[in-house]
Amino acid sequence: MPSFMTTVKSSVGKKFLMAITGLAMIIFLIEHLTGNFLLLQSDPVPYNKYAHFLLSFGWLLIVAELILVAFLVIHMISGISVFLKKRQARPVGYHVQGNAGGPSKKTFASTTMIYTGIIIFVFLAIHLKTFKFGPYYETTIDGVVMRDLYKLVSEVFRDPLYVGGYVVAMILLGFHLRHGFWSAFQSLGLYHPRYMPIIYGLGILIAIMLAVGFLGIPIWIYVREVVLKGAI
Amino acid sequence: MKKMTLHLRIWRQKDANTPGKLVSYTLNDVTPEMSFLEMLDVLNEHLVAKGEEPVEFDNDCREGICGMCSLVINGIPHGPEHATATCQLHMRHFKDGDTITIEPFRAKPFPVVKDLVVDRSAFDRILAAGGYISVNAGSAPDANSIPIPKEVADEAMDAAACIGCGACVAACPNASASLFVSAKISQLALLPQGQPERKRRALRMIEQMDREGFGDCSNHAECEAVCPKEISIAHIARMRREYMKAMLC
Amino acid sequence: MKLDSKLPSGPLHEKWDRHKADLKLVNPANKRKHTIIVVGTGLAGASAGATLAELGYNVKSFCIQDSPRRAHSIAAQGGINAAKNYQNDGDSIWRLFYDTIKGGDYRSREANVYRLAQLSVQIIDQAVAQGVPFAREYGGLLANRSFGGAQVSRTFYARGQTGQQLLLGAYSSLLRQVDLGRVTLFSRREMLDLVVINGKARGIIVRNLVTGEIERHVADAVVLATGGYGNVYFLSTNAKNSNATAAWRCYKRGAAFANPCFTQIHPTCIPRAGHYQSKLTLMSESLRNDGRVWVPKKKGDKRHPNEIPEDERDYYLERRYPAFGNLVPRDVASRAAKAVCDEGRGVGEFGQAVYLDFADAIRRLGIDVIRDRYGNLFDMYERITGENPYEVPMRIYPAVHYTMGGLWVDYNLMSTIPGLFVLGEANFSDHGANRLGASALMQGLADGYFVIPYTIGDYIAGTELEVVSTDADAFKEAEDGVKQQIDKLLSIKGKKSVLEFHRQLGEIMWDYVGMSRNAEGLKHAIKEIRKLREEFWQNVYIPGDSRNLNKDLEFAGRVADFLELGELMAIDALHRNESCGGHFREEYQTPDGEALRDDKNFAYVAAWEYKGDGKEPELHKEPLEFEYVKPTTRSYK
Ligand SMILES: Cc1cc2nc3c(=O)[nH]c(=O)nc-3n(C[C@H](O)[C@H](O)[C@H](O)COP(=O)(O)OP(=O)(O)OC[C@H]3O[C@@H](n4cnc5c(N)ncnc54)[C@H](O)[C@@H]3O)c2cc1C
Ligand code: HEM
Ligand code: SF4
Ligand code: FES
Repeated sequence: MPSFMTTVKSSVGKKFLMAITGLAMIIFLIEHLTGNFLLLQSDPVPYNKYAHFLLSFGWLLIVAELILVAFLVIHMISGISVFLKKRQARPVGYHVQGNAGGPSKKTFASTTMIYTGIIIFVFLAIHLKTFKFGPYYETTIDGVVMRDLYKLVSEVFRDPLYVGGYVVAMILLGFHLRHGFWSAFQSLGLYHPRYMPIIYGLGILIAIMLAVGFLGIPIWIYVREVVLKGAI
Repeated sequence: MKKMTLHLRIWRQKDANTPGKLVSYTLNDVTPEMSFLEMLDVLNEHLVAKGEEPVEFDNDCREGICGMCSLVINGIPHGPEHATATCQLHMRHFKDGDTITIEPFRAKPFPVVKDLVVDRSAFDRILAAGGYISVNAGSAPDANSIPIPKEVADEAMDAAACIGCGACVAACPNASASLFVSAKISQLALLPQGQPERKRRALRMIEQMDREGFGDCSNHAECEAVCPKEISIAHIARMRREYMKAMLC
Repeated sequence: MKLDSKLPSGPLHEKWDRHKADLKLVNPANKRKHTIIVVGTGLAGASAGATLAELGYNVKSFCIQDSPRRAHSIAAQGGINAAKNYQNDGDSIWRLFYDTIKGGDYRSREANVYRLAQLSVQIIDQAVAQGVPFAREYGGLLANRSFGGAQVSRTFYARGQTGQQLLLGAYSSLLRQVDLGRVTLFSRREMLDLVVINGKARGIIVRNLVTGEIERHVADAVVLATGGYGNVYFLSTNAKNSNATAAWRCYKRGAAFANPCFTQIHPTCIPRAGHYQSKLTLMSESLRNDGRVWVPKKKGDKRHPNEIPEDERDYYLERRYPAFGNLVPRDVASRAAKAVCDEGRGVGEFGQAVYLDFADAIRRLGIDVIRDRYGNLFDMYERITGENPYEVPMRIYPAVHYTMGGLWVDYNLMSTIPGLFVLGEANFSDHGANRLGASALMQGLADGYFVIPYTIGDYIAGTELEVVSTDADAFKEAEDGVKQQIDKLLSIKGKKSVLEFHRQLGEIMWDYVGMSRNAEGLKHAIKEIRKLREEFWQNVYIPGDSRNLNKDLEFAGRVADFLELGELMAIDALHRNESCGGHFREEYQTPDGEALRDDKNFAYVAAWEYKGDGKEPELHKEPLEFEYVKPTTRSYK
């Protein structure tokens, strides 16, 4: 019986972990996006209250965040390992690249996972630095002092460059998930000829929704804060 | 009979240790009825007549069942036709004047032996690690003593149809052998006879597959698309379940 | 040379059991001290290698291909016979025995064939236990079909890939022994000589096909399971690597070659499409269950088949054989096709084909039923020919398919060289002058799983085996011989390719030693083959060198052997003044063109002994006695 580490390092175990961490991050993203839709309102109160509510979980939140970070790290290590192993496994490549079509699911998205992944990571680092560890504004709602994240967000997204970078990153996230979502099911061994096309389609849908959702927010804020205000 | 002219770019490599390169040839007497390998036979006859060394390529049954033929044709293992091994591919699928690039299967565990011939013995070693049911000759019970539902037998047969050609590895962007390995694990996991060694088989075969240096599976499913026997990646999913079950339960 | 068939005494159904009881056993602890070489990894070789290793012997397993799994057995489509009588339709060991003897046109040994029928039952058990996914009924039990005109349903099958599945089963057992360290695989090796020391087979010389190295391997016994020699005809349904070299070199070392002229021509193959044609593809015999065979009545009728009206078609099988019609046995169907083509009524570009028409069956049963039954085959046909058989009749023509002849073996499967055992298609044992469909797989596996494990033990236990090493003179002599031949081949540097010689030999064989033969043609063939052989040794051109993968060099050695074997086949055919099974001599036929057997003068196995290059081989006869079945004339009218 192989040890836990052998399993984790095996080609199957590695992908099992990637799939679980990837799916967990997708669930987080869905939650994150739903909450962030509050930013679409011109009233800062609901969003700030929501952020404050999350923060009020205290150490529980920290644990959750640590788990997310751990997942991300595991996901990244495995992803990089897949990439390195693939390069070792084919030292001499082909002169002509083909795509056999038919049942193949080889797409632009599936062949660029490592690159979209790394860019997502860079994005995440900047994202956390800007917001989570960014300037601390305060506001008082209903007599409670809390962080004014709404203000920070509105400020940041006035910068067209920042918005542009955000949009690009989110499009790449979309590509990552377009292959990632269905792929995770396959990695977990959840394949059924009847349901797989549904999951495959759902993956595309989720990829588009998350990408459009996340890139829609900064664009909307930019429009609200710069274009519309400028127009007045 | 209609004749076609083809421009071939073929990988030539003297042996495992000498670097190779693509060499161009032009053939004027190809007919649409020829098989792809017969087209190469004709090329070789011309080369031999000129005193040059013929192009080496593996083949045996020329009926799509032995798995000996290989070749990556214009970037696709076994060429453009679905569910068709190279030996069953016919020249009517190409046009007069076409340029065809022919390369060997590429993967570290499939080192080039010469020209288009590669060494696929890694597959034997993986199967030797558990791709069998331990039953000595003479100890088997009556064949009808274990009924197997037709659907199960059919599904096992789908997996068992694998000809071990290695096109799945050649096509995989990661050079993963998952489709090949899963076909065997899946076949034996489906059948009642395969149950006693089920866990051990999954663990050992996958361990050996990794040790041979094949890449991991990124679920591109390009393997299924080139597989001459249309083995489904559903078997890869079953292999993963088998492995995780063996590990966790 | 004396042929001792070692047939056991006693009643037919007890012979094998009694014989087994008499065989000596090797002490289990001693088995691992013995090494056995198994050449070939087809059904016969893989099953033998696995089983001998299971018993505890050290096994060295050799094959030409890059993996044992690719042996030619993989290509068998139709199925495997076994007297299970699961269908309750009156099958029995006796009936399978009887059908095989009769199908073989009374040119095989009763005792061998009866044993084969007995063992057939265990083969299926073994294969199922290994995980071979045979076709099943909805109830979960095994399905059977009737095959090759048999009156009972006794054929087990795995889609159209029975040979593949059985071979993968045997191969998996072989690999299990590799894993256990009792079998060592030597792939991409070609056996080029047998080493005989003190009159016993003690080793082989092989060429490593990748490095070109010549290797010596020593053992206590050598098992040859190297398949048939159909490729002597150049075009056949055999795989490209199928060859006679191993068997032929054993022949030259003193193993008698039996019935070389008995070859089987299969009636339903896809016809040749051009000069470049490299091999012929078999279309399953089952197609004749629903397809109707015809040619135009008019000679040289070039019209599209669908434009030829019903009354201008000649359904010649139905006409000549009203009782069996399109289902007559292979040899009969093949000869009939040749006859109509010789009359100039053949179809297709070269006039070397007949139609196999499904239009009636489609009208009668509907296209869905036909697709369900033959879909795979129709697809294969379309892939190769580019024609749609649902709309245009298939074109088929006979092709060489199987060789019943092979090295002579006794009841223990031992050749005339002690310690050299021959299994599967490489021996001559069980099919007489004609093999029934689905019986070759059965024979190969019976030999490997259930016969050789017993008989080889008897040999090892009962023989004094001196200690020999690969340094022995005999090894050196054999290795030198092999090297000399290779050097000679490479040094000729002539003008003609190996392929061209092979093609020419094939033409001679097909024209004069093919489906029907006559004395004059055979004599002509012998002369032509000798001429071609002489030219070969002066004018063959082999590119490259011997230190590398060089397929032209490999094939050159094989063609050189075919050029000798072809002659022996013609000599054998010439001496056999009768028509039986696959051997049809035009001089010996009934007024209406049916085969005329001569049991008085030819009820024997013709075993040929090599007497040296350029010398006539010597004929030895093993008389065949029929105690249980009385030879009758086959009739399919
Ligand atoms: C297209 C086709 C369909 C058939 N269908 C059926 C069927 O449905 N039912 C049936 O019963 N029979 C069928 N047959 C016949 C049957 O497949 C063969 O007779 C049988 O498989 C032979 O098995 P074998 O083990 O004797 O030899 P093979 O399978 O031919 O194996 C020969 C082995 O010997 C090795 N070898 C040969 N020469 C050397 C050498 N010099 N050195 C080292 N190794 C060597 C090869 O590498 C190979 O491993 C069919 C045959 C053909 C051609
Ligand atoms: C929001 C963050 C992320 C999410 C939601 C996410 C999601 C996923 C999912 C669901 C998969 C499919 C897993 C599988 O095939 O089993 C996947 C694959 C992958 N991810 Fe991520 N991912 C994220 C971030 C990253 C990062 C930061 C990297 C950086 C290395 C990365 C690299 C990869 C790679 C390389 C793959 C492909 C694995 C393979 O080819 O087998 N991902 N991702
Ligand atoms: S799975 Fe398909 S492509 Fe891969 S080895 Fe088997 S037959 Fe070839
Ligand atoms: S040569 Fe056998 S599968 Fe192509």
